[in-house]
Amino acid sequence: MADTSKAPSFPITKRRLRFFGLTSDELVQLFFRGNAMVSVLVLALITLFLFREGLEFFGQNQQNLQVYRRAGLDYVDHMRWQEQDHTALNRYLLDVRMKVMADLTGRGGLSVEAANQRLEAFDQYSIRFDDAIAPLRGLVSELSETASAIKTKYYINEDKRTERRQLLAAGRADEAARVEVIQVDFARELEPILASRDAYLAINRDLARELQELASAARAVPGVPVERMDRFGTLVVQYVGGFPQIEQRLATWDYREDVSLLRSFSAFIFGRQWLTASFWQDWYGVLPLFVGSLMVSMIALTLAVPLGVGAAIYVNQIASPTEQRLIKPCIEFIAAFPSVVLGFFGIAVLGEFLRSISGAAWLDWVPGFPLAERLNALTAGCLLGLIAVPTIFTLAEDALQNVPRSFKEASFALGATRLQTIVRVIIPTALSGIISAVLLGLGRVIGETMVVLLCAGNRIEIPDFTAGIAAFFQPVHTMTGIIAQEMGEVVRGEIHYRALFVVGIVLFFLSLTINFTAQKILRRYRQQPL
Amino acid sequence: MSQPTPNPFRATPSFSRTFESGVFWVLRSTAYIILLCGGFVFSDIVIKGSTTVFRPEFPFVNTTFLTEAPESLYVFEHEGVKREMGDREFRAFRESERLKAEAAGRTAPEIKATSYVYSAGGIFPCIVGTVLLVVGSMSIALCLGVASAIFLNEYARQGTFIRLVRLTILNLAGVPSIVFGLFGMGLFVIFLDWNVSLLAGWFTLALMVLPVVITASEESLKAVPQGFREASLALGATKWQTIRKAVLPFALPGILTSSILGIARVAGETAPIMFTAAFVVRDKLPWEDLERASDFFFQGVMALPYHIYVVSSKIPQNEYTERVQYGTAFVFLLIVALIATTSIVLRARLRRRYRW
Repeated sequence: MADTSKAPSFPITKRRLRFFGLTSDELVQLFFRGNAMVSVLVLALITLFLFREGLEFFGQNQQNLQVYRRAGLDYVDHMRWQEQDHTALNRYLLDVRMKVMADLTGRGGLSVEAANQRLEAFDQYSIRFDDAIAPLRGLVSELSETASAIKTKYYINEDKRTERRQLLAAGRADEAARVEVIQVDFARELEPILASRDAYLAINRDLARELQELASAARAVPGVPVERMDRFGTLVVQYVGGFPQIEQRLATWDYREDVSLLRSFSAFIFGRQWLTASFWQDWYGVLPLFVGSLMVSMIALTLAVPLGVGAAIYVNQIASPTEQRLIKPCIEFIAAFPSVVLGFFGIAVLGEFLRSISGAAWLDWVPGFPLAERLNALTAGCLLGLIAVPTIFTLAEDALQNVPRSFKEASFALGATRLQTIVRVIIPTALSGIISAVLLGLGRVIGETMVVLLCAGNRIEIPDFTAGIAAFFQPVHTMTGIIAQEMGEVVRGEIHYRALFVVGIVLFFLSLTINFTAQKILRRYRQQPL
Repeated sequence: MSQPTPNPFRATPSFSRTFESGVFWVLRSTAYIILLCGGFVFSDIVIKGSTTVFRPEFPFVNTTFLTEAPESLYVFEHEGVKREMGDREFRAFRESERLKAEAAGRTAPEIKATSYVYSAGGIFPCIVGTVLLVVGSMSIALCLGVASAIFLNEYARQGTFIRLVRLTILNLAGVPSIVFGLFGMGLFVIFLDWNVSLLAGWFTLALMVLPVVITASEESLKAVPQGFREASLALGATKWQTIRKAVLPFALPGILTSSILGIARVAGETAPIMFTAAFVVRDKLPWEDLERASDFFFQGVMALPYHIYVVSSKIPQNEYTERVQYGTAFVFLLIVALIATTSIVLRARLRRRYRW
């Protein structure tokens, strides 16, 4: 009986080199797998580093807002807002005057002097209105100085403290001991501000009385439309009605109240001001930038979607093969235009071009025309449209290409015309592809930097939406633009630097969401049984 | 000749027919409006830019503009003649005037000149910087991208890991370039302490185009017929031998041409290099005055797109500055357009050549 325990010897043997227990082939595979990991790693690293640099912003902003309250800037601002409301009403009067003046000199045919004379009573009224605020204005500016001084004192102290800590860390204890740190006693420093309350109340009482008189006299002012003055009267009454609330707020104001982290967070997300390097108080509110990005993208998509999708339908369904071969590479070629060149084109040509067009007489009916600024949301939007068009065109064309031929043939066989086939069969089938193309175009536009930096006008302000469509012709600033513009001039680790990184985080997640949604729509469509 | 007989099968005109052709004309016009806009931008820059770059007489090309560094331009009136001079020339001129005056025994008259920064000289350092950035970042991106694509197409089986990788590639493609700039600044410039340098710019740009390169490479790998791999494996070749001998050689032309589109993107981006690699102005060329060879990688460079940004936003627009603005934009557009056209043409040709 043969010995079965002995393994039969295999005639061919091959010894494989092994490194760490892996054959060379497995090593090669591992190498490639590692490379494939890179993209995952990059995405993770992007998230990590954006958060690493940006996350501390919220703590710093909390600190920033805390000092704002402790040093009494918050308290003074309540009064300042009241004063600003007054100024806004004053602007209303100026606006009334301007309209009436234009009317008198234009249609009325009066000379400027005569018109001025007719408006004399009104002018007196508006001067009286403006004068009424003077005492409060004086008080506010006085208190502002005090509050600013407290804030400066606090920051100087903080700097000293840091210096001492650094010296101690460097082991130079005797030098550290020499650094003088005075604890800022907010309660004592704030005394003059809080003591001004009685003066403020007295001023306010006088102001309210004066304004009430003015409000009731508004109707009787000669030479200006009664309905506008009536409106002014109600506005003034409303404004005076807000006084007790302000007084109440000042009475309950307490500098010791802590600012929560949530407040710091919401001050960023919903803050309507992005104000840096200011003498008074820095604000980091992303809202104006976000609105600017959104508006520019909306203009771009309004232009690019009809053009891109229309061209895609034309090239895919209607054009002759020669035309197809001509148009497709040309549009792809537009995709290669560097955005900075387009931005330069906007500055050099398009801005002036649009403005001269908007000055044409037959476009007078459009609100906001003629354009006040050469560089505004419209200029940037037009160029971004040109950037979005190739993206939308290519992807939409792909989607149309993917519609099975049999659909079209079946439709024709039923006697449908070409237009009916396109509208009823081809477009509905490709719709999800087209939608995702538009979304990807949006992602491209929102992330675009150079064009908006160069052409959007860079005014950090939420456009005045009461002006209707004219809001789209105002200069705006965008999230991408602000990063590119300010990153070069900030100090590393400062709150401003971190704020820019947080804007980057917002942008990052916004683009991820858009992209992800587009993929989702596309995938759902692909899984549909055809 | 008699009248041609009317075609009896001719379509009778009807409302729906007119409507249809009307709609088609609207669609056709959208396509041509796009081309018109693109053409207008392109021709405007080409026409105004070519006056800077080309010359009517020999050698027909403005060599100063292409081979020298940017300088300030001085415009002044001297002895009734309006003159324009670059920085160095102006200084020499002033010196010679002074000497001339001294020889004649009087004090030299003060020359009042208006200066415009960057408006004289050329853009050579910018071209060099852009070329360096593109070459370096594309080498990195191609190595990483092709290897990833090989893994995804040849080795990977369906699974969670692969789904994750594909998802990240898709999402990475949509990340705004300025975010890549921030990331590059956070990781390379600050964390790894490379400062504003060529190396930081390379990696930032490479990671930015990675999705493009991966997608392009995978497409080319997919185009190689499955039979090639099966035949090779049946002959006893290992997986790696198969890839190296039977797949890559056929996929490589496709990979390279499709990646050229990535090059155009790398060359055209400004936002990622703003904080990672680009200097507003730098006197020395990258290879001058190097103490160690490694210093080459740790220096910032001037780059064309950033230079365009600087000259179009930081200096006022007038007849003197316009020349350098349009000239730079033209040269840059020409380079990028050349790359893009090559890619589009090569791709079309390749599709015809490799058909299995």
